[in-house]
Formats: sequence, structure tokens, C-alpha cells
Amino acid sequence: MLSIVRIHNELLGTYGDRGNADVLAFRAHLNGVGAQVIDVSYNQPLPNSADIYLMGGAEDAAQSLSLHDLKSSGQLASAISNGAILLAICAGFQIIGESFINAQGEEISGLGLLEVTTRPGEPRCVGDIKIKSPLLDVELTGFENHGGVTTLGTGVTAFGQVIVGRGNGDGRTDGAYSGNVFGTYMHGPVLARNPELADLLLAKATGLASINYVDELAIEYAQWRRKVTK
Amino acid sequence: MPNRGLKRAILIAMLASWASKTFLRKSGETISGRVLLGLRPSAIQELAVDRKIVLVSGTNGKTSTTRFLTKILRQLGPVATSESGSNLAWGIASSLMSPEEYAVLEIDELHLPSILAQTNPKVVLLLNLTRDQLHRMHEVKRVAEKWREIAELATEVTFVVDVDDPYVNYATATASKVIRISFGGRSHPDGAVCPQCGMYLRWRDGIYDSDCGLTNRSYDKKYEAVSAGERNAILANVAAGHFGAQWLTANPGELERTITKEIGEVESVIRLTKNPASWTEALTSVTSKDIILILNSREVDGIDTSWLFDVSFEILRGRNIFVTGERALDLQYRLHVQGIEALSSENYESAMRSFSPGTKVQVLSAYTAFFELSR
Repeated sequence: MLSIVRIHNELLGTYGDRGNADVLAFRAHLNGVGAQVIDVSYNQPLPNSADIYLMGGAEDAAQSLSLHDLKSSGQLASAISNGAILLAICAGFQIIGESFINAQGEEISGLGLLEVTTRPGEPRCVGDIKIKSPLLDVELTGFENHGGVTTLGTGVTAFGQVIVGRGNGDGRTDGAYSGNVFGTYMHGPVLARNPELADLLLAKATGLASINYVDELAIEYAQWRRKVTK
Repeated sequence: MPNRGLKRAILIAMLASWASKTFLRKSGETISGRVLLGLRPSAIQELAVDRKIVLVSGTNGKTSTTRFLTKILRQLGPVATSESGSNLAWGIASSLMSPEEYAVLEIDELHLPSILAQTNPKVVLLLNLTRDQLHRMHEVKRVAEKWREIAELATEVTFVVDVDDPYVNYATATASKVIRISFGGRSHPDGAVCPQCGMYLRWRDGIYDSDCGLTNRSYDKKYEAVSAGERNAILANVAAGHFGAQWLTANPGELERTITKEIGEVESVIRLTKNPASWTEALTSVTSKDIILILNSREVDGIDTSWLFDVSFEILRGRNIFVTGERALDLQYRLHVQGIEALSSENYESAMRSFSPGTKVQVLSAYTAFFELSR
């Protein structure tokens, strides 16, 4: 049984990112793999033995609260070192980085799971986004809405090169990854718009070489978004 | 009495509106406001002098509440208002060109501070604040912050608010005159964090408490209401009560924005839906076996559809569902992930033709599609 933990959705759920967990569980089922989504809310103990952890976008105060809780428990880092997969979107991506600047202008140290730092930038990045990730053959699409400029350290690779949109704020790269930890600014939810990415995470989590079930509606949806995002 | 410059500007604006209606067959409503403000940037301020103005704002229910409040106040005398729900500066200017003593104006959330400052209203009715058009609003907290700044300064204004919404409560927490209404029993879809202090908001049975003291435990009056429409009808009555108007009971569904339309012998009731909160509310009213869902993503619809995953469509399981609109595929896939299968249809008309005569269809429709169907 694949366990998918949705972290602090009441805080990190501003942008429909809860759907990433739903899509993963749904596609796991289609492939005959049992999966359960575990919602862990603020100040609840985070299990460190799940397979996939998901974080989403948030407003500023919610982002700080979530980070504070995750920092004090330390469980997420321990889960990652046990081999779990983490996908963090937008505010979640900033939380798992080395540091970010909060709404009050203070520098806050993050969880340090990805070597990235974020500072505020102008103008806000709002709109459709399309990237080409080295992880996949297809282009990925989503929607971004953030005011961060994220700088990547040498220990991480960009999640993708931006084709449409602003990504990390510079219009060149979006997100970052290292090992099994993935961060991106793409909402959508990103796994609904890009089933290939969902399958990549599932394949990693289950140890299967590939995921074989073809869900035609998912493909039609993904291809249509790729075509119209320009 | 308007001075000569203003009078001339109004005359030209009315002429432009007449020309637009006559030759272009448009509503003429925003044109007159645009022309008026172009010629006379201070027109809203000048037209608002010595009048009894009520502003209505909030994420959901603005138009229907404005209409109902207008109806209540008409017991006292003629009321100027915008019939079409145009809630930006042009629409306001155009509505105020009508000289009645009372005016009830629907105001876009982001425009409330500027319109409040210009019109010096007697009452401001604040319904709710939830996520909507995030490409434009960015964050719910940001809108509440803007409201709070102006509410604190508007010491002569009476605010009528739903205190169960923590954002609305926060926005008016430092205002001088506030009538806080509670209905109880509800949570808030975006209310996990206290807008005032940023700490976790403790919710229990519709009551919230924050470390900083923000709570809905204290209120001026408590009412029973089941739907958003009922709540808004009560809030409108409280606002009208400020002027001494008699309480008016709304007809069932009067404050839901619906239209009915028939194609062949298939009848449909079309309800406006525009964001996670209004979709969730509208879905609770689904009783028909036959459903059409319409989704667009133009500016006023919100240009992104990620929020579909924040709405549970469970109530639609087992019904006959057609999806249509420019983002029909987003809807169809979202339902699919919840294990609910829908058929895609080219447009509303073709979906309607798929039902057999005598069917009563319920339609939930995005903003822009709703307006096209209203014509």
C-alpha cells in the first residue's frame, strides 16, 4: 500500500494543490497499486515512513506557521533520508529551501532540503507557465502566482527551463530538484495537468520501472494544455 | 445642487449612453460612467453629496444582495442602483447620475476603499471574503488588509458585517461603528490562519478563537440561516434597518442568481457559480438527476482553474452530467479523478438537446457564460 501524505492542506491549500495527492492516488489505483492519502494538519505528528509527501501553495502567515511546525518536528527530513519522495509547490517549495524572506522582510531559515534561497521580487509572477524538465520528454504546464525570486545553489538542478512564464522569477528556470526532492512554482494542480510527472513519482515510489495504464482523458487534458499554453 | 460643469458632463454622458444604446445596442451603463468620469474625475464625489448611500461588497452575493436591499429601501422612497451589477468606478458614476436620495451600490472588493472614500456612505454592508480571481486579488488577506485600512478611517460609517467570516471581522475590528451579525455553525474555506495575528485559528462548531482575541463569540445579533442567500437577505435587512425600513422576508431562492431557460421541451434553471465557495454553495442545492456544468476562464471567471480540486463534487455522483464551456476539459478531468464521469458537450444548447423532453435540468455556470445565457 502506497502512502501519500498531504502536509498541512488547511495551511498549504490556497491553490488547489491538494489535487496532487488525489491524482497520485487515482493513477496508482488505475495501475492496480493500492494507495491511501493521509492528511496531516498543523501540529499533528507527521509520520516519517510514508512513500510520498506533498506540500502546496500558501499565503504568507500560513507559510510561516507550516514551516515552524515542520522545523520543530524534524520528521520530514528523516522521511526523506529514509528514501521518501517530496513534491513541494510554490510556498511549499520556498519552505523546503535554505531560506526565504517573509512578509515582514525578515530572513527565515527553511528546512534546508533543497539548496535554494528566495527573496521577494517585482512584478508578481502570475499566469500560465510551461517548462521543459530534464526529467521528462514532454513539456510540463501549470499556473503560477507568486512574488518570489528563487536562486539555485550548486547542489540542485533546475526542475525545468521556462518556455512560457517566469518560474523562479527570472523567466529562465523553474523550481529545483535533488535526489527525491522536487520543488516547483507550478499549480494546476501540476500532477493533474501533467500525468507523466505523476507517473514518474509513482514509479520512483513503487520501484516499478514504469507505469503502464493509459488514461486517455488525462492525456487529452495534458496535451490540450500544452498546446494552448504559449 | 450640481454645479454647471457637472451638469454639462452629465448631459454629455447621457447623450453618449443614448447613442450607445440606440446605435450600438449596448446597455449604455458603463459608457455613461466612463464619459462622465473622463470629463469630470470628481463626479462620484460630487454626486454623492447629501445622499443616503449604502455600499455592498464581498466575494459572493453582491449583486443579489444589492437588488434585495434596493427592494427593501424602496419602501422608504426611490432608490438609485445599478441594475446590471457593474461594480467598478464607471458603473458607480453611472448609477449615481440618477438623483434619488437613496443609493445602493455594489462595489468590487478591490475598489471598495476608493469608492468608500469618494461617496461617504451611511452604511457599508460586507458579506464575506473568500478566494476568488486570485490572478487579480492575489491573496484573501491582502483584500482584508485594504478594507481594514479604510474602515478604520471611516469613523462616520456604520458597517454591517457577517462576523462569522474571520476576514470580514478582521477588516472591521478597528472600525468605529460596526453591527456584527452571527449565524453560527459554519467554518471558512480559507480560515485556518488568523488574519490579525497570523497564528492558527482555533475552530469549534463554527466558533473561532485566536490568540490575539479575534473571535465571533461576541456579536450584536444572532440569526438562523441555512443558505448563503438567507444570510445575505438578513444582512440586507439589518443594513436597511439603519434607515428605519421595515423587515422584508425574501422569497425562497430570491437571493440566488438564477435564470430559467427552455430549449425544446427541456427546462433548465441556471445558477451563477464563480469560485470554490460559490461552487460549494451551489452544489448543495443540486436535486435534479440531470446536470450541466459550464466553466470558462476569462478575466472575471478567474483565469486559472486549479481551485476545482478544492471543491468536492461528490453530490454529483450517479447523475447525468454534461460539461461544457472553454474549460470543460478541466472540469471533466477533475470529476474523473473523483471517480465521477461526465460527458463533454460543444455548448449549452447541444447539452440541452441531449436530454429528453420534459427533463428539468440544473445548470451551474461560470460568470461569463451566465451572462451570455442571460441575454
